[in-house]
Amino acid sequence: MIAVGIDAGSRTIKVVLLDAQTRSVRSAGVLDQGVEQNALAEQLLDRLLAEGGIARRELGAVIATGYGRKLIQAADATITEITCQAWGVRHQLPEVRTIIDIGGQDSKLLRLNDDGTVSDFAMNDRCAAGTGRFLEVVATRLGVRLEDFGELAKNSRRRAIISSMCVVFAETEIVGLLASGTQREDIAAGVQAAVAARLGAMAGGRVPRPAAFTGGVALVPGMRAALEAALETPIVVAVQPQTTAALGAAILAARRLNGQPSSGTIAEDNV
Amino acid sequence: MNDPARRITLDEWDTRYEQLRAGGLREPSYGGPLRRHVADGDLRLLGLRMDNSAAALRLWNFLLSEEDRLHRAKAEGKRLVGAMKDLGTVPVMACSLPDVVAFCPDGAWWIPCIMETSSRVLAQADAMGIDESFCPVRAMLGAFVTEEHFPLPGLLTCSVGAVCDDVRAIAQRIERLGFPVVWWEIPHRRPPEAGDAAVRLPGGFWAAASQVAFVKGELQRVREALEHYSGQPLSDGRLAAGISRANAVRRQLSRLRDLVFTAPACPMPALEMLIAEMLAIHFCSDQGETIEVLGELLAEVEDRVAERTGVLPPAAVRVFWVNPVADLRVMNLLEDAGGRVCGTEYLFCHALDVIPEDLPPMEALARMALADPMVGSPADRALRICADIRRFGAEAVVISRIPGASHCAVEGTIIAEIVRAELGIPVAEIEVPPITDALEPTLRTRLEALVETLLERQAVQPVPQQAVMARRFVTTESPQ
Repeated sequence: MIAVGIDAGSRTIKVVLLDAQTRSVRSAGVLDQGVEQNALAEQLLDRLLAEGGIARRELGAVIATGYGRKLIQAADATITEITCQAWGVRHQLPEVRTIIDIGGQDSKLLRLNDDGTVSDFAMNDRCAAGTGRFLEVVATRLGVRLEDFGELAKNSRRRAIISSMCVVFAETEIVGLLASGTQREDIAAGVQAAVAARLGAMAGGRVPRPAAFTGGVALVPGMRAALEAALETPIVVAVQPQTTAALGAAILAARRLNGQPSSGTIAEDNV
Repeated sequence: MNDPARRITLDEWDTRYEQLRAGGLREPSYGGPLRRHVADGDLRLLGLRMDNSAAALRLWNFLLSEEDRLHRAKAEGKRLVGAMKDLGTVPVMACSLPDVVAFCPDGAWWIPCIMETSSRVLAQADAMGIDESFCPVRAMLGAFVTEEHFPLPGLLTCSVGAVCDDVRAIAQRIERLGFPVVWWEIPHRRPPEAGDAAVRLPGGFWAAASQVAFVKGELQRVREALEHYSGQPLSDGRLAAGISRANAVRRQLSRLRDLVFTAPACPMPALEMLIAEMLAIHFCSDQGETIEVLGELLAEVEDRVAERTGVLPPAAVRVFWVNPVADLRVMNLLEDAGGRVCGTEYLFCHALDVIPEDLPPMEALARMALADPMVGSPADRALRICADIRRFGAEAVVISRIPGASHCAVEGTIIAEIVRAELGIPVAEIEVPPITDALEPTLRTRLEALVETLLERQAVQPVPQQAVMARRFVTTESPQ
């Protein structure tokens, strides 16, 4: 049977198809998010099934996570991205004790116990500072694509200081820096450092080692180094960091299929 | 008439009310169906799930009829005292005088929550330059100007000093509108230093005797203002009787909290418990009726505990809640996510402690006022929270913040760090504005994630010993 994890995130939808017995990933994909979240998730799921030569009837259990998880009609249960992220990362990197996840709309810091369960977590979801959206806005202002933002930052010789933690005010600062002749690459590096500093504040100096980095922003070159500097700890980027929460959801779906206890809220278990 | 205990919507309450009436429900003068409050503008009731007991009906009706009660009292010629920034001191003094009714104008901060934007109080405050960068208590300013909510009191008091700067600023604005205020100062509570005589306060904190004497002097000025306004002496005998009545409320609440927070099955939802606890500080303008309302609620809870019935699944995880919420719906949200509230610190835990009755009344009131968690350090507050977490066996903590309202900008962080260090349990910090509609998904995610974390923890660890202990050994005394 195939266990399915769907992560309906704010910027993208991620789907992972997992062999429930072997726990090997059969297929995984990412699609840009939109208004019709359920339809987009179905579209991505159909595509992955077709690519993997998997029939719908082989799907055993579906767990949805992420910001739009309640909208995924195919889901047998919904579980938060906090729990799913932990399961996904510890499947790949069992030794990890801290997870830093920076997505499009929020950022999170999870601390794990020695047994891999979540010990504590902190989230920033009220402000664009410290999220992928911050980088997107700045990339647009600097006239580069987000995928090229990290490369631009790597060429910095003297990182600009971005003092504002608010994306709106930071944009104003950037306009001022550009007007004063500051190089774009220095601004890009400064913005990366500002995002990392935001995570550092969230961590409050408590980053048990080793630490892993997940979320779409983990794909931006230079962000890992910026985080390592801010958190003063080595950080490993998870394999396919965008899909670790979907992977965790798929693992929990597999556990459900195999009759193993899975985490989840009481409310969901009562459904 | 006795439906199984559960939380129901307002629509369900319509049916339930008729059922209770058919069963012979006897109601006080302010009774009636909850639906009528929606017609009065209390739109938020439409989105809440409330306890289905007759006792809860009475509690809600008592809360939502306070403005009517105040208007009636004024029409009857009673003296109205508005006690601003007061967590259970001046109302106790005022209620010691015959024909004097005290209320907390700052309670207006819940008007936008209950009435959404229909109340206009925030818009009015905005127009007067007290915008959303201030605490939601600014609703009080709007209420004074529009006069559409509470009647204007004849005497206003307000504490200043080591309390909230925002409330002081708002109260100053109110005074400039032509409402004289009797200001009384409360200093920052500090531990006694070498050479200081030390005084033990209700709740277990210590203060220098000189600080207690200072507060006593300040309260003496309030006492004289009350005497002048009411035209009656506020004798020690009257004060002692007033303190005794306030303690009756506090003892009821203490018993209620012990039962609800330690019962194996949650016998009363968090929402009704929050409203009940608030009665400790303002009595909803009627001290005697508060005792009746709480008595009925307590009886309902005792019955449910005896019958081992609850409003939530027995496996609901045990969460300690810090700070009151601006949007009541969030209390529902925790329970929907699979949690239950087992312990609270809504910023006025001192108002739940018994006021010493073996001391001269003014000395006792001064000590109680100095025990206010807001006038001490956040670390003091955190340690009391830790003690209550142990007492009630909570497995996690939610620290709720209100945008614009912060006695100390980093208080939540300090409490979180101390709780983690002392108890090693998860802490979730959330921000709850007066209307959370747009934030519901993110708030839900945090609360669900906290519940999931605890369930996973339970799967690999036995139920915390303190939870078991709390269930076995329930005391009605303060922890320290």
